[in-house]
Amino acid sequence: MTAHRILIVDDELDFGTTLAERLELRGYAAKAVSGAQEAMGALADNWRPDVVLLDLMMPGVDGLATLDLIKQHDPKIQVIILTGHGSTESGILGMQRGLFDYIMKPVDIGELIARINEAGAQ
Amino acid sequence: MSKNRSSKRNCPIFCGLYGKDLSPQARYRCMCNSLFIVMLAITLIPLSITSGLNFFQYQQLVREDSRANARWNAESARATINAYLEKLEAAITVVIDTYSFEDLSDPKKLEQLFRQLKKEHQGLVDLSVVGADGIQTAYVGPYRLVGKDYSDSLWFHKALSRRIYVSEVFTGFRNVPHFVVAASKKDPSSDRYWVIRASIDTETLDRFLALADTEALEDIFLINDSGILQSGSRYHGDAMESFQLTRKPKQSDVLIFEEMRGSSSFYRAVSRIPNTPWLLVLDQQGAEARKIWHIFKGRLQLTLGLCFLASGGMVFWLSRFLAGKFREADETRDSILSETEHSNKLASIGRLAAGVAHEINNPLAIIAEKAGLMQDLVGLEQDFRHREKFLDQLASLQNAVVRARTITHRLLGFARRMETSLTLVQLNAIITEVLSFLEKDAAYRNIHIILQLQENLPVIRADHGQLQQVFLNVINNAIDAIRGDGEIHITSRRENQKTVMVAISDTGPGIAPDVLKHIFDPFFTTKGNEEKKGTGLGLSITYGIVQKMGGKIEVSSEIGVGTTFIITFPVYKEGSEEESNDSA
Repeated sequence: MTAHRILIVDDELDFGTTLAERLELRGYAAKAVSGAQEAMGALADNWRPDVVLLDLMMPGVDGLATLDLIKQHDPKIQVIILTGHGSTESGILGMQRGLFDYIMKPVDIGELIARINEAGAQ
Repeated sequence: MSKNRSSKRNCPIFCGLYGKDLSPQARYRCMCNSLFIVMLAITLIPLSITSGLNFFQYQQLVREDSRANARWNAESARATINAYLEKLEAAITVVIDTYSFEDLSDPKKLEQLFRQLKKEHQGLVDLSVVGADGIQTAYVGPYRLVGKDYSDSLWFHKALSRRIYVSEVFTGFRNVPHFVVAASKKDPSSDRYWVIRASIDTETLDRFLALADTEALEDIFLINDSGILQSGSRYHGDAMESFQLTRKPKQSDVLIFEEMRGSSSFYRAVSRIPNTPWLLVLDQQGAEARKIWHIFKGRLQLTLGLCFLASGGMVFWLSRFLAGKFREADETRDSILSETEHSNKLASIGRLAAGVAHEINNPLAIIAEKAGLMQDLVGLEQDFRHREKFLDQLASLQNAVVRARTITHRLLGFARRMETSLTLVQLNAIITEVLSFLEKDAAYRNIHIILQLQENLPVIRADHGQLQQVFLNVINNAIDAIRGDGEIHITSRRENQKTVMVAISDTGPGIAPDVLKHIFDPFFTTKGNEEKKGTGLGLSITYGIVQKMGGKIEVSSEIGVGTTFIITFPVYKEGSEEESNDSA
């Protein structure tokens, strides 16, 4: 199975980089950015991720708006929201905009990888 | 103003309105008294006024009747005496017209006539003939009066001056009260007038007057214009005694005098008897002394008394009923306010809990990832000196994160109360489903679950998952309360046309009253010191879900006996509300 490219978008950069490092240890190509602007910058650098782990509550452009930007850029990129600010409304809104899944922080790495693989297989 | 308000507080009528500093019980009692007094006044004042008016109107009518009755009695007595005298006058006139002075001077003839007259005219004492010189020439009767000289007598002169004459009562030569009916006639031979005279005793008048005796009659008698009694009186003495009369009627009028004697009225009727020197006086009691008036007063008092009693009873009942209704309404309002306050409290705490959970989740995620990375790295280093110890410590750290995550996720669940998807649900089916999760746990602890589920229970409209959570929470609590060896009774039944209920009773140690009143408060837990710690949110969530579904949850407990939760839901009624779009 091909290791997926994963982009982590989270204003808690410490969280993002640590998670990226753990994913890399498991053979994934992972990159962490702290907001929508950097995420779009990474996409523009021709570093196309298979799966984006996206925080919901971020300063400036929030998670749902970032989801729209990513989907506009490439609808095939699967996005999983990984947030501490969970609500069913935001989950439903995300699903309506092409969101793959919705996971509450903190999450077990095994469970997260299972979801990433599911999303990457799409 | 404040003094006025204070006096109103002390007043039994206003204390129910102004006595805010009174205890609720005292306030409702005051309100009850106020209602009683006001309603009683509203009922009894018009009743009393009407009864009073009727009483005085009837009294007036009865007095009018008494006045008319006195007049009628006087006229009747006058007519009786008048008829007697007219008959006697006619007889005397016939005798004097028929016979001459010489004929009647014959004692035998006179006695024959006397006997005939006495048969027809009761009270006739004697009959005599008096010559023009005033000497009584012939006499028939019980006294020795032949030869008596009446030339100085008033009656004799008045008899000579008119054809027929009725005298006043006098004693005369016989010294006994009597009156005479005398007629005069001219003797053709001597061309002088002579007189025939009939004497009647006053007892005859008494007998005629006694005929007028009625229930109300006090006294009836005759007097002359000089105020001398002409007959016996019950209260004023015998004939010939004096009596003062203030006013006298003219001719045949009947004068009626009314006067009050104490609380009773009294009537006096005075009338002249035509062609006599007499005045008839009749004294009669007013209506108040009569039996009919006493009967009327007694009936009026009885009716009024009964009305007062009936009104008082009804007003008493009504005031208690209304005060009770006010109290119920107030209690319902207080209960709604209390529930609203409780809901608001839950909502506020929910929002706070959500905020806290959100803020904790992010650092928790960092801790989890950092610990995870450390686990990964140490795991890769087989030669790491304290590898096992590090891995153990990191595993403990991860476990703590999982525990914290569980709490924050529950907090969020509490905050959201989970979005509902309403469907038609069979309560018994939900209970059976929930028990399938818990049966093994209960069996392991030697807890018997006894089911009494009513068949064909009506469906309710609720969220399937949330309802599962409700029963899961309550039954789980019951299992935790029993700990080991005990029973859980689960009963479902239709309570009435509108509601179905489920009662869950355990044989646990029971809950103390001070704990029981906080049992639905968020973060309130009794499991703090036990192995399986509670978050204190389970029953809060349960309470919120049941309330959101239009139901009600109540708890009762007795130390040493056990605890019972009663959950009530409204029965689904077709058409009562629209089906949810996402219903199954």
